[in-house]
Order: sequence, then structure tokens, then C-alpha cells
Amino acid sequence: MDYGNPVEEHLSTRTSVSVFDVSHMGRYVVKGGDVYDFFQKAVSKDLRKFRQGTMSGPVLLLNDAGGIKDDIMLYYLRDDEWLVVVNAPNVVKDREWLLNLKERFGFTDIEIEDITKETVLVAIQGPKAPEVMESLGATSEVKNMKILEFIPEAEILGSQATLISRSGWTGEEVRSYGFEVWTSIEHGAKIFREAVKAGAKPAGLIARDSLRLEMGYLLSGVDMDESTNPIEVRYWLPLTLGKTECVGCEAVMKKYEEGVEKVRIGFKLKKGDRSIPRHGNKIYAGSNEIGYVTSGVYSPMLKRGIGMGYVKATHAYVGYKLQVEIRGKLHEAKILEFPLI
Amino acid sequence: MSGDIVVKTKLGEYLIKEGLLYTETDEWIKVEGETITMGITDYAQKKLKYIVNVELPEQGAKVSKGEAVVTLESVKSVADVYSPVDGEVVEVNEELLDSPDLINKDPYGKGWVLKIKSSSSIDTSQFLTPSAYAEKVKKEEQ
Repeated sequence: MDYGNPVEEHLSTRTSVSVFDVSHMGRYVVKGGDVYDFFQKAVSKDLRKFRQGTMSGPVLLLNDAGGIKDDIMLYYLRDDEWLVVVNAPNVVKDREWLLNLKERFGFTDIEIEDITKETVLVAIQGPKAPEVMESLGATSEVKNMKILEFIPEAEILGSQATLISRSGWTGEEVRSYGFEVWTSIEHGAKIFREAVKAGAKPAGLIARDSLRLEMGYLLSGVDMDESTNPIEVRYWLPLTLGKTECVGCEAVMKKYEEGVEKVRIGFKLKKGDRSIPRHGNKIYAGSNEIGYVTSGVYSPMLKRGIGMGYVKATHAYVGYKLQVEIRGKLHEAKILEFPLI
Repeated sequence: MSGDIVVKTKLGEYLIKEGLLYTETDEWIKVEGETITMGITDYAQKKLKYIVNVELPEQGAKVSKGEAVVTLESVKSVADVYSPVDGEVVEVNEELLDSPDLINKDPYGKGWVLKIKSSSSIDTSQFLTPSAYAEKVKKEEQ
């Protein structure tokens, strides 16, 4: 979960560089001539502009009612071969769902193989990540990639990785610039060790959680699930509103047109209030219960508790003050735009 | 100090200081007359991990044995510190309000938590000796 001090691991990612083992994330290879048509059916984002050598950014697997099954990442390797990263708890479930869709829509030329256990994913994150990549022998082509680009069979530490991408889940768009290396188990272990030698701080899942929450990134299964739809989650990035061909797309459009009763918000506690909001804490406006917290952490950047959750749409104003009940006491909190830092 | 115990398990290494007494709920206590100085053990702080918030009682607060008097909040979880006696809070470590991680850095020193004056004479036999506490930790880590 951590390497001794998650707050230092967090700060190192924001100001310098850290290395994470994120191999728990699920990984599939999807092959066949139907890959594009299949994913156009399966995910919430329109893929017409999706190009070889790039990642899709997060896209959603929706159920028929428009509820969120997972957010996943697609890698366009070749016209007939894409890679997929899914959230750890959903490794089995997502593949089953995709196979189910394959059958439902009669796709024949497509195979989905789970390669999670044969490979690892090492993330090097932070403003000094390019320097660490350089000391690991990454080519300038790798170092100069733009966000969400990747290079297959890229050379690093004397061997070829499956791929190296310019990505992460720590706040790369805003403050830090990360790389992820998808490779064999042995090669990955070596990259982790050498990255540490080159100055990267080993960082764990506690820091990863506080980093993602400062950015407002959603954790599938915690901040959103099949009972929530993308409109109330206000998760626009993976959504092409008006796309009709995907499973759940029309249901989402209907929610958008009808309006939703609750929406997701982010908030911070008052300066100096180090209490940490937790999943399930209630949110009030005065004596009126208006919502609940889905994630909360201590923000090392703001030095106070922050969180996200859902409140009645009528109360979701940026700057609006509300109260979060933490262990029986009300704490003042202010609604913020994402990212929270 | 030579008498300190270091418990080594598969999960970690925990310092248990000589000259202190311990509780089943992972507090250390130092008894001087009717006054108890207390904090949490190295084992407790390592289990809790990085502490970011400490909620202290008021000086002068009346407390009873077994009552949760302090709340410690870490990046991982929340834990209470329990009063080992009936009595009154005579001093709290206010430095913890600005630097809660003093508990992580120096659990038996600068990370002390509070002092309680017992309302009656203290029966020290109810507490664990360092070696008895070491056994408890080993057992929990198995």
C-alpha cells in the first residue's frame, strides 16, 4: 500500500518523480478485424478519430440503462489489434461483459485475451519523469511523446517493452508528466529498481489514491458504479453525448434530456481542518441531508481533508458551503471545481 | 538503551521501550505518582501509518477508564486512544496539532499524547510489561 510515508510519496510525485507498480490493473489484448466496430458498440466515446499509436483516454463500459460498469483505456496498436486496461476489481467481469456483447451483436472476428498475469505495468510519474526515463536509456522518441501517445516495442534498459506510453493517473495534464511501461515481469522489476536508483521515489496505492482525488479522477466501483450514470457523475471526458450506436448511449442521452437529481461534486474542508472525509459520510446543508461522500483523503498539497461525493443537483454550486458529517461532527466544506488543487 | 526490545516479524520491526508499561490497546504509559504520561506504541503508529490529524481533549477534561480520549487519523484509518484510568487531563501535547506526524517520527518521545492525573492510586499490575507487550505484538503478527 505504501513504502513508509504516503504523504512524502505524494509530494514527490507532484514536485519531483515517483515510481509505482500498477500491475494490479487488468490488461487484455483484443485482436481481429472487428476490433473497431466492436468497441464502437461497446464504449461511450466515439472512436472515429481514434488513431494508431494513441490511447483513447478513459472510455466507459455502460449497461443498457446507461449505468457505469467501468472506465477503461484503449490502446490502438494496429487496425486489428488493440490493448485494453481495465480497473483491477473488474478484470474478470469486464471481459465477460465484452464477450457477452460480442455474442449479442454477432461479431465473429474478435478475440479477447486476458494477459494481466503475464505482464506488469510500471508508472513513472512526476515533473522529473523524463529525466528518469533518460537514465533508463529511453530514446528521444519516447521522451518526446505527447500525452496519450505510446510506442510499441520501445527499447528501455536494453530490452524491448510491450509498449511505453505517456500517461498516468496522478494529474499529468496539470502538474506532472508521466510514463507507463507495459512489459514482462522480469523487465518491469528491473525498471522499477533502476528508476529508484535514478532518483524516483517508490510510491504506493495510498499516494496514488490521494493523487487521483486531488485531480478529481474517479475510482470505478467507489465513486461510480452501475447505479450511477455519466450525467450525474459529470464525467464528460469519456463521453460523446449524442453517440447512438453504443450500448447505454441512448439511455445516457435520455438522462441528459430529462435531467438528474443528484450530481457529483468535489470539496475541501476549511484551512487547518485535517479531518478526513470517508466513503459514506453524509453531506448536509444546515439540517437538510443533501448527499454523501464517496471518496475522501488528506490532501498533502492543501494540507486538509478533501473529497468527492454526490449532492442534490439543486445544491451543486461551486463555492457553495456545505457540511460533511465526520464521526458524528459537522465540518464545513466548500464545493470546488475539479481539479481540487 | 540496552533493555529496549525490538520485535521483528515478517511484517515489520517494532521498538518497545524499557521502563514503560503498555496496554492491550497499544498505548504506552509512564506512571509517576498519580500522573500518567501516555502515547501510542511504535507498533501502533506503524499499523496506523502516516498520521495527519489528532483530536485532543481539553485540559481539565474528566475522563474515565476505557473512554476514548483522543482520536488519531492517518492516511489509512482512524484510531482512538483510551484512558487507562479514571481521572483528569492535566496536559495535552499541543505540538501534535501542527505536526501530527511527530507520533510517527518519535512515538515514545516528542510524539507523547497526553498526561492524565488519576483520581485514585494507580494499580500498575493491570498493565503489560515490555516483555508481555512484545508477546502480544508477536501473537498479532502471526
